[in-house]
Amino acid sequence: MIKVFKYTLIDLARNRAMLGYALLLLLVSEGLFQLEGDPMKAFLGLVQVVIALVPLIAMLFTIVYGYDVLEFTQLLAVQPIGRSAILGGQVLALSVSLLLAQGFGLGLPLLVHFPTRVALVLTVTGSALVLVFSALGTLIALSQREKARGVGIGLGVWFVFVLVYDALLMWLMFALSDRPIEPWVVPLAALDPIDLARIMVMLEVDLAAMMGYSGALYKEFFGSTGGMAVALGTLMLWIVVPIAFAFRTFRGKDL
Amino acid sequence: MDRIAFTGVGKRYGPTWALRHVDAVFRAGEVVMVIGPNGSGKTTLIKCLLGLVHPTEGAITLDGKIIGGDPSYRTVIGYMPQISQFPAALTIGQLFHMMQDIRGLGPAEVDDTLIKELGLDTQLNKRLSALSGGTEQKVSAVLAFRSRPSILVMDEPTAGLDPLAARTVLRHADRVRNEGGTVLVTSHLMEEVEALADRVAYIQDGSLRFLLPMKEIFQATGEDRLSRAIPVLLSKTVPV
Amino acid sequence: MMARVVPHAANGAVPLTQRLKEALPGDTILVSGEVREGTLTIDRPMALIGAAGAVIDGDDAGDVVVITADDVTVQGFTVRGSRISDMHDNAGIKVLDRARAHIVDNFLDGCFFGIYLSGSRDAVVQGNRVVGHPQRENRMGNGIHLWHCHNVRILDNLVRDHRDGIYFEFVTDTRIERNKSLNNLRYGLHFMFSNRNAYSYNRFQDNGAGVAVMYSHHMEMRHNRFLSNRGASSYGLLLKEINDGVLEDNEFADNTTGLLVDGCNRFRIVDNSFRANGWALRLFANATACVITRNLFVGNTFDLSTNGDLMLNDINGNYWDRYVGYDLDRDGYGDVPYRPLGFFGLLVERMPYAMVFSRSLLVALLDQAERLIPTLTPLAMKDDHPLMRMPNG
Repeated sequence: MIKVFKYTLIDLARNRAMLGYALLLLLVSEGLFQLEGDPMKAFLGLVQVVIALVPLIAMLFTIVYGYDVLEFTQLLAVQPIGRSAILGGQVLALSVSLLLAQGFGLGLPLLVHFPTRVALVLTVTGSALVLVFSALGTLIALSQREKARGVGIGLGVWFVFVLVYDALLMWLMFALSDRPIEPWVVPLAALDPIDLARIMVMLEVDLAAMMGYSGALYKEFFGSTGGMAVALGTLMLWIVVPIAFAFRTFRGKDL
Repeated sequence: MDRIAFTGVGKRYGPTWALRHVDAVFRAGEVVMVIGPNGSGKTTLIKCLLGLVHPTEGAITLDGKIIGGDPSYRTVIGYMPQISQFPAALTIGQLFHMMQDIRGLGPAEVDDTLIKELGLDTQLNKRLSALSGGTEQKVSAVLAFRSRPSILVMDEPTAGLDPLAARTVLRHADRVRNEGGTVLVTSHLMEEVEALADRVAYIQDGSLRFLLPMKEIFQATGEDRLSRAIPVLLSKTVPV
Repeated sequence: MMARVVPHAANGAVPLTQRLKEALPGDTILVSGEVREGTLTIDRPMALIGAAGAVIDGDDAGDVVVITADDVTVQGFTVRGSRISDMHDNAGIKVLDRARAHIVDNFLDGCFFGIYLSGSRDAVVQGNRVVGHPQRENRMGNGIHLWHCHNVRILDNLVRDHRDGIYFEFVTDTRIERNKSLNNLRYGLHFMFSNRNAYSYNRFQDNGAGVAVMYSHHMEMRHNRFLSNRGASSYGLLLKEINDGVLEDNEFADNTTGLLVDGCNRFRIVDNSFRANGWALRLFANATACVITRNLFVGNTFDLSTNGDLMLNDINGNYWDRYVGYDLDRDGYGDVPYRPLGFFGLLVERMPYAMVFSRSLLVALLDQAERLIPTLTPLAMKDDHPLMRMPNG
């Protein structure tokens, strides 16, 4: 696995799309901090980028790379190494390089221009999102033979998590506004990894508003160590479960 | 000595069987030519042996052990696929080094003669993304032979190779056989491999129609070329 | 007659009470050590000065030091031991109906009320540390308490862990400058029925509900910082029924509500910065003829909220970080109005738990749609000339 990891990482290090992604992210982050006079405003812009764009790119990159690397995977699969070692090495290399790209394009500017606690929270949750969506991308790429179909499904999954799910939830809130739906809203939102990451950032950014009349609700859920553990645990599940399914799929997959 | 045994091997994709009820034994020191129409199941057969495809039913043994979870059986196998695509960012030399590293072989344990004979020694710094189809096949061939395999699996090895290179590759396949190895070759250009083959396996619609020594085929049919012998043979054999 | 300086050592042969009775007007008594004689009353013009480490302990008798004469100075003491009471406003240092008291550089240590001025004028309260008890804060009085006073200076004090940090009722023409009022249970600073006062360069932080200015007129508030006042009904500054005042160059940050304006007339809100508040500005519909200009709104969850459709105030030329308009004529002001009240703000007013959608793509889209085609928000609620760049860089 270490060797597959090593060579996949070397391959990714020369991957133009990956380098382009890192540079684009750096450009966006630096651009925001340079253009906006106020670092807080730039940061809030970055929050939107991380919430919406980072999951999309992480997933699409993983899916496309998954198909591009298929022939090479075949070559690896006839060597005396197991399927799990191959996928493990590839997933690890992909995660590491996506995280490095993000650290370079996002973490670095944040460290330079906005070294705050909330920036750290954004970096950590952003990284979790990268891992979640890379995991989902891996599963999609392995379960669909056709590249176009895989990419399409990826786009759909992203769209659901970034928008459709929220819209449904908000619609539900309106529809059931005369019922005690309140305690359900936060846990339901937290099922969506993007929402969960967003809420964790929001708890820092919008804490002042949180402490307002709805404050108790959120503090109850996230303020306690238990709640934060549940949140992180849920994000972990979003990483582990797709990866576990991906391994299962890959072990039984005909190459 | 029997090395590889297929017992009741079948592979189903959806509703269709790509391979069905295959029983076959491949021995040490022989070259078996696997032939059949396009889409007959040749590639599926060898992919089952390589572990790329998981049989739906039946079992394959190598030296008496069923192949399955443990990937170490592939240490003795060299494989030359029909089409190859390599990590674009690497050079030929880097790819060789990488595969050697992945297999954990020392410099003394690899066989580099083919690199020179195929003229790749002068192109080691060439990017894999910039290769012609023929050169890609040469690289593929080198990878198959380099780990000194005792089982050699080649899927259409001569397709895409120039005649000279094709002859070189087949000469090395011959050498592997003479050193006691087992060589499986699929090809539909029969003549090229014919001279080399000890036995012929014919696959049609996923079934192994026969697996016979060359001599028997020629004797039974009275023909001296496979291309003419096989139709005769097929008309005689009663499908099981 | 020459003014004398009389040294007094605590626990000596003569109690301080007796020295105070024997003092002549204009005397200075220089106290060292710890005095513990119950309530001390200063009834003639004089100075009571504490040497380093001097303590006056009221021994829970009631008030600790009571001033009932004009021109009294109390300086340099640690004052403690005022009795907590439901009946009496017992204080560390109390001034009753006199002029020109100077209360300087004292440490009011856990007193029920700290410094208490009643019916006094022309006093100076400067450089004191007034610290209550965080543990029994619900049994605390106010740190600096003024009732019916006129022309007082409250300067450079630190007040913390009291009920209200600084409390004014019926106080006029008074200045409050460079104080810090922190961690008080209720308000950092509280005005009731107090006119023509000015407070500036103060810091109000982590108080229960920030600063409240109520039922007063002609107030000036400049260069203050209102920080981290958080809680369900908490705000940096509440202006309630205030007419004719100025709020200028102040900073509001990390408050649940930055500024709450309820029933004010002709009030100028200029050059303030609102950062990272839950609601930067809550402007109730009963406010009229207020001018809100050149303020900075950055990183707030909501820039503005209101409670009705009416808007009779002038909101113009502020900087809003959410503004995405353009400035074709390059006059520094955006060419399209900014609507600070978004769809999401309204939604959260109706369903507080909708906060969960904050900063989601959905909310960004809905907010943008509402800004382009306003259907729910009051039409008059807009800034016609939003600043393109932050004022003062």
